[in-house]
Amino acid sequence: MSMFWSFTRQAFHNTVVYRVEFWMRLLSILLAMYSIRSVWYVLYTQQPDAFGLSLGQMVTYGVLGMALHAFIDTGSEWYIATQVRTGAIDTDLLKPIDFHVHMLARNLGEMLFGLGVMALPTYAIGYFLFGLQLPPDGMAGALFIVSLFLGFLVQFHLGFLLGAVAFATLDIRSIAWAYFAVVSFFSGQVVPLWMFPDALRAVAEVLPLQAVYYIPMSIYIGTFSGPAAWSALGFQLLWAAILALCARLAWGFVHKRLTVQGG
Amino acid sequence: MNPVQLYLRLVRIAIQSRLQYRADFVTGVIGVIVMNVVNIGLIAILINRFTNLNGWTAWEVLFLYSLWILGHSLFSMFMWHMRTLEDYLVQGTFDLFLIRPASPFVLFLGREVQYLGIADFAIGVGGLSLSYTNLHLSWGPTDWLFLVLAILAGTLIEMTITLMIACIAFWTGRSRRANGLVMQLNVMVQYYPLDIFGTVFRVLVTSVVPVAFMNYYPALMLLGKLDRIGEWWFLAYLSPVVALIMVALSAGVWRLALRRYSSSGG
Repeated sequence: MSMFWSFTRQAFHNTVVYRVEFWMRLLSILLAMYSIRSVWYVLYTQQPDAFGLSLGQMVTYGVLGMALHAFIDTGSEWYIATQVRTGAIDTDLLKPIDFHVHMLARNLGEMLFGLGVMALPTYAIGYFLFGLQLPPDGMAGALFIVSLFLGFLVQFHLGFLLGAVAFATLDIRSIAWAYFAVVSFFSGQVVPLWMFPDALRAVAEVLPLQAVYYIPMSIYIGTFSGPAAWSALGFQLLWAAILALCARLAWGFVHKRLTVQGG
Repeated sequence: MNPVQLYLRLVRIAIQSRLQYRADFVTGVIGVIVMNVVNIGLIAILINRFTNLNGWTAWEVLFLYSLWILGHSLFSMFMWHMRTLEDYLVQGTFDLFLIRPASPFVLFLGREVQYLGIADFAIGVGGLSLSYTNLHLSWGPTDWLFLVLAILAGTLIEMTITLMIACIAFWTGRSRRANGLVMQLNVMVQYYPLDIFGTVFRVLVTSVVPVAFMNYYPALMLLGKLDRIGEWWFLAYLSPVVALIMVALSAGVWRLALRRYSSSGG
């Protein structure tokens, strides 16, 4: 277990180095928060009764979506794809730790860093700037944290599977662009699922992507509470388990057939 | 050989070297198209639910998006590599542009082409045709001419901003980080009508980083929405002028940067 944490710590250190990048990203993300706040503000002023929740809840949902999107997505697919393309994947395979566990540790470190050092301060600034709300009660806050972690597991494993595609295609850039757009659409990162037209909503509710943003954020603003929140957590847990299993099967398949070029 | 001939020959070479990777081209184009359709689809769904966004219908917002991406497509085809100027400096490839008997700028500009701009262009043409039909527009020849000018101005505005930011690398060695910030401004202007934002932001993207001239201001003219900016109506016609001012500014920055480079000894 201590090895697990040492990988996590290393990822944390790697990310802390870039200070200028930190400020640039902070400003970019504040702008992104500002844009979504403006959209909801204008739409809410036009038709307050169309929402079924308060302007504060809606703006909080939007801004939270931007903060999480910027920092919680650790991009495991890029790491794997780059290692495969350059042949450096052999150094990962030489490490005395299972590749899947190694990736999980590494991305967990990056996620905790992103959350603690970037997302939290950014969100705190946004909190005062845009008049955001806290979760309705402590229970919702605690469930939000759990849900966020489960959402991370779902996102990580989807990224891991996407990265595994690199073993076949070497380059995943174009697939990734389409994938990211689909994720931000069906995960409710920008627009909550209940605003979708019925047919699209039905699709979104079956897909695992709502586990990444829509469920944790709905728990945070209090639209999922009590039994609804618990069954949403169950949905996340189920998908995290299914995707982890898929990731292990895919890795086993790839590992057996792996040839490293260059290296 | 004059600079234009030189540039065209460089572009031909760059295209030939790109054509080695045809499978990349197909998946890349599909990726870009899916990404754009999904992104604009999300906004369209949102706006349709509320009939309009601050008086802009979904088709009008699609028009804004398409006008931006048309100007951007020429940039991304021929000038995308300007963002990577810092790599040329760090790796020393920039020296090649200085020791040849031709303009370093032309040599740099003709160094690479990006086929993915073709997908952007297709999205822009598709989106513009859809919104033109659904908004029942009927433009005269001057409007079409204005559209072409606005698109070219958009390309130049994006190019000059990118170039000036890339030139920071001549002093600091790094510049790419600042790009993310400008991209964020671009995204906001590309996706949403500027009038949903506050005064500070509007002044910022009009006068400091003038990306609003890529789509918002010319679109007000082309869509007959000049009343949105009242006494500032003239801004709707200014895109070509802004583009020329930016070209002059960036030429100055480029010249300063080159002097800086040679004095540091590479």
